[in-house]
Amino acid sequence: MSRRTARQARVRAGFFLAAALASILGLGGCISLPQTEALRAKPPAGLPLRVELTEVPFHSQDLEFLCGPAALATVISAAGVPATIESIAPLVYLPGREGSLQAEMLGATRRSGLVAYTLAPQLEAVLQEVAAGTPVVVLVNLTLSPIWLFPVWHYAVVVGYDLERERIVARSGPIKREDISFGLFEFLWQDSDHWSMVALPPGRVPATAREPEFAAAVAALEQAGRQAEARESYRALLARWPDNLVGLIGLGNVEYTLKDMAAAERAFRRASEAQPQSAIAFNNLAHVLALLGRLADAESAARTAVALGGPTLPEARKTLEAILASPAKP
Amino acid sequence: MSTSFFRLISRLLIVCLIGLPFQVNAGMIGTDSVVSAAQAQVARNAVASFISRTDVAGQLQALGLTPESAKERVAALTDAEVAKLAGQIDSLPAGAKSSTGWAVLLLVLLGILIYWSVKK
Repeated sequence: MSRRTARQARVRAGFFLAAALASILGLGGCISLPQTEALRAKPPAGLPLRVELTEVPFHSQDLEFLCGPAALATVISAAGVPATIESIAPLVYLPGREGSLQAEMLGATRRSGLVAYTLAPQLEAVLQEVAAGTPVVVLVNLTLSPIWLFPVWHYAVVVGYDLERERIVARSGPIKREDISFGLFEFLWQDSDHWSMVALPPGRVPATAREPEFAAAVAALEQAGRQAEARESYRALLARWPDNLVGLIGLGNVEYTLKDMAAAERAFRRASEAQPQSAIAFNNLAHVLALLGRLADAESAARTAVALGGPTLPEARKTLEAILASPAKP
Repeated sequence: MSTSFFRLISRLLIVCLIGLPFQVNAGMIGTDSVVSAAQAQVARNAVASFISRTDVAGQLQALGLTPESAKERVAALTDAEVAKLAGQIDSLPAGAKSSTGWAVLLLVLLGILIYWSVKK
């Protein structure tokens, strides 16, 4: 326990030093913090002044190097999937780098059955997600040196903010409630190009969702093999953006993989109606119809797919040939 | 147990290993082609993707993962993420520190800064 206290004291001392240095440099006019300035000049409308997600669990990082697993365990268990540092570390920690890579933070989230969504590089987006009840993983560089000299990368989880006092509250390493200013946070955050991510339960659309990015995030969950979870999130995506092609095709592919051919047919038919220029929609529809034994419909869909051409033309031709070659039903 | 039993198991395993990566049947076009078209990337090349995945899995093994673990972890990444990792695993940010050390580092840097400004 005393070791923990000592470490907390060291972290606090570090943040204090960082703040002191930042203010020295700031006085010299070397630092510009455009996002903090923008929030100060024009606070986002509709955002609550003060939010703190006190119910977000705290996974204290008691071992060096494990801030990635600690941050992930925090957001994954907050999303309702049981997780500990010990269970997450094998999915994300890289011994040879003594740390965790950003891409693998996303991959490990998917392997836990959650959608890994990277936020727009804006402090405002982080605050909006927190206001919507979602804790946000951020990557910061704790050194104040030029980035190429001594980067010390660290993951923390933002769980609260105060617009009036301009403060961020985060679960960070061994500290349950790190309280730092917007300015210092933005300064430490800028070296990662303002990188942040959320872990979303299936069926949940993030508060700051952008259509193509969220669709790609759900498709990545499907590709990682979590079909049932991806199906729920595709449905949520389509409820928000009914004509999204990735969502329409993805839903059909998931239903197909889960062997619900009637649902797959509905999805691909809807795709071919909403996006009549999509050869992929017609190709996959043809394939499902052929499996259902409706060869005449299948052939017509396959001919449309071939006529539409595009980069998937070879697959469409193969589908048509296979359908023409299959014996007609009695 | 008889060798024929092991032979059967081996054959089953081989079939599984070859068959597993293809989740969507031949004839179906996967969601990833729609995503890459939407992101205006070059047409996804299955062979190139396979090679960079093998490459990244090998690098992960060199950094201390078991072959199975490396393969599973690469499988959870998108093609774009794999492409970014390929050849850059040693230089991309790896979040790590809890606390120890970096406060000291800051002190050293502060010292350098003061030394530099005094000297100037």
